[in-house]
Amino acid sequence: MLKPFSTIGLCYVTGYSVLGLYARGGSAISAEAQAAQKAASAVVESAELSQALFGGKAAAISQLGVLANECAEQDWDGNEANAIDQLAVSIAQGFVRAMPDTLPLPEFTPEPDGSVSLDWIQSRNRLFSVSVGPKNRLAYAWLDGADKGHGVAQFDGRTIPSRVLEGIQSIVNHGNAPFRTA
Amino acid sequence: MATLPSGLPEHVADEEDLARFLTQSNQFNASMAKPAAFLPGPKDRETSVFRHGREPSDSLWTIGLGAAGGRNLYGAAIFKARVLSTAQLEVIADEPPARHAAIRGWPWIEDDLELQKAQQMERAVLIASQAALLRR
Repeated sequence: MLKPFSTIGLCYVTGYSVLGLYARGGSAISAEAQAAQKAASAVVESAELSQALFGGKAAAISQLGVLANECAEQDWDGNEANAIDQLAVSIAQGFVRAMPDTLPLPEFTPEPDGSVSLDWIQSRNRLFSVSVGPKNRLAYAWLDGADKGHGVAQFDGRTIPSRVLEGIQSIVNHGNAPFRTA
Repeated sequence: MATLPSGLPEHVADEEDLARFLTQSNQFNASMAKPAAFLPGPKDRETSVFRHGREPSDSLWTIGLGAAGGRNLYGAAIFKARVLSTAQLEVIADEPPARHAAIRGWPWIEDDLELQKAQQMERAVLIASQAALLRR
């Protein structure tokens, strides 16, 4: 019979795969063993969800690196554009890391002044763009049908400014709540 | 009305088609050219376009390849000149090269670059929403 134990300890000692086997096993009989199996299942589900979400963010951060490489030289567009600013890329990566997992990841676009644009495009009349440059102030603009606007918000590197977050959510969730500019 | 070496009138009419050539694969997605593709250059403070519609395509891509200057040419965003007045911008004929024009009047705020960018982005978003994507 399986004995009760700490699920955290199990992760450390025998690893995720064994925990998964334990979580999916159906041999628990005692109340303690059943509780442990339930806890193991929760840990596995949480880990799998985190992995899936982090995988998406990791891919997005990797895309930013590719973009920076492609636009690493002056005049990448043939119109005297500045090379993409490495600090801007770093701040954009921080923005992606700070995004709530419930928000879709943005598309990235190089800007002629070396900044990076993060775009949430639902349709041509419903989109939100955040411009990330080498400073921690974000410029943003949106179009939502006949409604449009722009603003500036401070980004501390850890938390997405609420006005930006609400604006993106309003676009991607087809929300009805309007938001105000800076 | 004065005409240019290309034979086009000096004044760009509202009904004219303008082409913004796309030389970077991230400037567009499956359905549209993205707003940043229309932002002005940091040095000349203008956006380069050509007075040409989607047809004839041979002519369009010949001009585009010349504008790309050896870079990849992925496509073009085509839009009516009147979109620019909606966005509080103007387009001025700027030859040579033939058919070239420049979008000017972008907000420029020297002491607040982020506010400047936000105002530019709002205009770029409007243009992008009205532009048709043409893949090469």
